[in-house]
Amino acid sequence: MDQFIKIENFPLIAPYAELFWQGTLVTILLALFTVIIGFCLALILALMRMSNLRPFRALGIDADGHAREKGFLALVSRFNPLEFIATAYVEILRSTPVVVQIFIIYYGIFSIIQLPSFQILGFIRFDRFFPGVVALGMNSGAYLCEIIRSGIQSIDSGQTEAARSLGLSQGQNLRYIILPQAIKNILPSIANEFVVIIKESAITYTIGVQDIMSAVNAVRGATFIIIEPLLVATAIYFCLCFPTSKVIAYIERKMSRGDKR
Amino acid sequence: MIQVTDLKKYYKGGAIKALDGITVDINKGDVMAVIGPSGSGKSTFLRSLNLLEEPTGGSIIFNGIDITKKKYKTPDGKTVKLNIDKLRQKMGMVFQHFNLFPHKTILDNMTLAPMKVKGISKEEAEKKALELLDRVGLKDRADAYPIQLSGGQKQRVAIVRALAMEPEVMLFDEPTSALDPEMVGEVLDVMKELANEGMTMVVVTHEMGFAREVGNRLLFMADGKLLEQGDPAELFEHPQHPRLQDFLSKVL
Repeated sequence: MDQFIKIENFPLIAPYAELFWQGTLVTILLALFTVIIGFCLALILALMRMSNLRPFRALGIDADGHAREKGFLALVSRFNPLEFIATAYVEILRSTPVVVQIFIIYYGIFSIIQLPSFQILGFIRFDRFFPGVVALGMNSGAYLCEIIRSGIQSIDSGQTEAARSLGLSQGQNLRYIILPQAIKNILPSIANEFVVIIKESAITYTIGVQDIMSAVNAVRGATFIIIEPLLVATAIYFCLCFPTSKVIAYIERKMSRGDKR
Repeated sequence: MIQVTDLKKYYKGGAIKALDGITVDINKGDVMAVIGPSGSGKSTFLRSLNLLEEPTGGSIIFNGIDITKKKYKTPDGKTVKLNIDKLRQKMGMVFQHFNLFPHKTILDNMTLAPMKVKGISKEEAEKKALELLDRVGLKDRADAYPIQLSGGQKQRVAIVRALAMEPEVMLFDEPTSALDPEMVGEVLDVMKELANEGMTMVVVTHEMGFAREVGNRLLFMADGKLLEQGDPAELFEHPQHPRLQDFLSKVL
């Protein structure tokens, strides 16, 4: 039986080391931009989900001037279109596979929108990289939205009550009391999402983003060697993710100290 | 000052009646103690006064305006939207669990609302805050964070934080219930002093001694209803309602 791993294959793939370096850089850039886009999107989505826009609010007040308690009109009066859109977005993105979303965005949206085909740093093809970032960003935005929302909701409701009873408006409460405390709780989760995206970004090789997985594919195509480039990719992914998540865990532990009320 | 009429708070369409028709007048300078078994609606009543709970029926007239409605008419006939933030500035509130802002120092806790809501300058707000802290003996802790304070100290800060907004009435929601026994006294002392200065106060409490000595009116609530009210000494000596007799026999 043939050996599973052949040591002599490694020198054969050594000439392609450059591809792996480039792939690593692309993967890191991809994850970085994805987190930035995802976070901005998530903040907007989270605020939409928690917003208080109720266009039919007036229907919920009875002739006496009191708020209606139940019934169809009370239901309609509580309808918030922003919240509905954001919730629908989050649920759809979370309930469908990433690869489907990437294909829809790449073959659908970016076949209508023509992207200029130039190369960043001389080897990153913008017309592949950009759709990849957009697709991953939209996906992680949905997940980060829930992280931000739960971070905000984890703040004791007594904080809001105290702030409001002092006369602070809803916006002031969010800005001065809730967000400063919530962000601190959320940061480790956002860093964790970064690690998740490093791994998830491997899927973007399917639309031709030249990340680590696409280097594996290129080597396979040129040399018909499969396992050894995959092992190289495994090692790179591990070296990126393992230390990062350990550092995050360490910072998280340090931050949670002296945090008890 | 505050006229509460037939105040109701129903949940689930009336299946749960947290408040079931409370009618009471709170006059300027009143120190009103609210007692009753747990689940009797005392806290709901208090929290309704500054609309942390939205009542489902009845009215609360505060300075001539029915604050349970979203809109009201001014004397010259204009319809104005109720500004809930403006209203709450005039009602200070102290909570069972203090609810200080943990990410801000004591001084910042106290100056935030005066600066952001009233637009007072930082210097002026800090000067006022330090004066107030001095009154409760905590001036030297101005730069500490809430986590570094004991429960009694936190509650004293919470009281002066509310006072920094110069409210017309102070609402206390079981201010000593979360404190260790030896710290109850220091908080009650501050409240006594406040009462002696003529502050209008509504105090939900389990401290019968405080209710009796400091309060000039006593409300007894059970099952969302106001069962008895009157002079504290009189009620403690001669409770009329069987529920009050029963309650007092258990707590005294």
